[in-house]
Amino acid sequence: MKKTFMYIAVIFVVFSLYSCGYNTMQANEEAVKAAWGDVEASYQRRSDLIPNLVEVVKAYAKHEKETLQAVTEARAKVGSMQVSKDMIGDPKAMAQFQAAQGAMSSALSRLMVVVERYPDLKANQNFMDLQHQLEGTENRINVARVRFNKSVQTFNTSIRIFPNSMTNSMLLHLTPKEAFKAEAGAEKAPAVKF
Amino acid sequence: MQSFKKMSYSRFDVFSGFLLVFFCFCIITVAAASAAALDVPPLKGYVNDYANIISPSARTQIEAELKAFEQSDSTQVVILTIPSLQGEVLEEFSIKVGETWKIGQKGKDNGIIFLVSNQDRKIRIEVGRGLEGRLTDLTAGRIIDLVIKPRFKRGDFDGGFTAGIHALIDATRGEFKAEAKRLPARKNGVSPYFTIIFFAGVVLLFIGRMSKLLGGAAGAIGLPAVLYLFFGAPLILLIIFGLLGLAMGIFLPFLFSAGGGPGGGFWFGGGGWSSGGSGGDSDFGDSFGGGGGDFGGGGGSGDW
Repeated sequence: MKKTFMYIAVIFVVFSLYSCGYNTMQANEEAVKAAWGDVEASYQRRSDLIPNLVEVVKAYAKHEKETLQAVTEARAKVGSMQVSKDMIGDPKAMAQFQAAQGAMSSALSRLMVVVERYPDLKANQNFMDLQHQLEGTENRINVARVRFNKSVQTFNTSIRIFPNSMTNSMLLHLTPKEAFKAEAGAEKAPAVKF
Repeated sequence: MQSFKKMSYSRFDVFSGFLLVFFCFCIITVAAASAAALDVPPLKGYVNDYANIISPSARTQIEAELKAFEQSDSTQVVILTIPSLQGEVLEEFSIKVGETWKIGQKGKDNGIIFLVSNQDRKIRIEVGRGLEGRLTDLTAGRIIDLVIKPRFKRGDFDGGFTAGIHALIDATRGEFKAEAKRLPARKNGVSPYFTIIFFAGVVLLFIGRMSKLLGGAAGAIGLPAVLYLFFGAPLILLIIFGLLGLAMGIFLPFLFSAGGGPGGGFWFGGGGWSSGGSGGDSDFGDSFGGGGGDFGGGGGSGDW
């Protein structure tokens, strides 16, 4: 009879763990990490494209040293910092990461504005190819960021709602994760000067 | 005095009632406005020509080619034309289409959406994750620039679509094979139920050994309960599994004590597999739908 109770107790514990959201929260956290992997990969992809882009532009637009320099510097800065998967919960690290990538984005968009002045460059096959790749990468970054934010929202909700919040405070001690915020200055387009 | 007071209360109630109705309307109109932005149209087949720019003959030809390509390579290519984006961003709309239609096979993510917005004169090729290696952003961009754009500029939509589809098929042929897809898909369909039944069998074996009555009861209630919790299985399935659980709870201990442990377990495993094998190719019929493919924003855009 003692054995019976033990079996029942084991089954009870297993099922109470299912219903209290223990597994859900773990799964959601993993989903956030996976989504972060995509974000990092697409940003990495962008930085990998920069040297080629700078080379091609340099060949046609020698006078745009400053703009090119800004892009190279922004890339170096982005390369020097890495936000690992465990740091997603750290608002400060996330803010730094976002600031660096934001600087990269604005340097790149300035470069693209400058390029408009060089019709030869725009007609160059290498440059057109790079532009396709860059556009594709920016789009991937967008998609990855939106999905990351969605997964963060799901995760943050799942650790806050009722039975889960108790499980979390007693067993898991997971903290809310940071979502991407709209980039400061993203709402205003770069100024075009002639 | 009394009546006046009463009246003022009721007036207040009427006022707040109006206010409530007003707010509700506000919320509904806002929700309606955001929903009306641009909905993803329903998936009808390989060619979804909502802008009416493809001729019937080109359409049947393209559909036949895409069907043959899916049957040989399992890669799904789908055309969508819309009259206008209605102010929406091309890339955001096309990823929304990908997320809604789920073109491509699950796990392989080998879907391609060829999207054209007629009035905006914009083209987008959205590439599933599994094909990003073959059909890179660059390749997709070049197909748009060199194959599709010149024909569209001449107003030759049929030629643009046909040549574009050929280029996409050529770029992705051989990346996936149709046969390899069928086995894992079937395995995934059966295995969660199978695992649950297996574990339920082990638990019921223990309980049933102690008492047949207890085992039967645990099986009849426990198995459907577990299925409901995990999969939200429909009622009929729950009843069937309830009976199965009852039978398992009563007969499993008997079976094992009579025929020796490992043999019985093996027999059970065999039963589970053979039932999965009878599915065959029936789901490869005329009805068309996305296979659950995932998109990550890869592909190219252009205009003409």
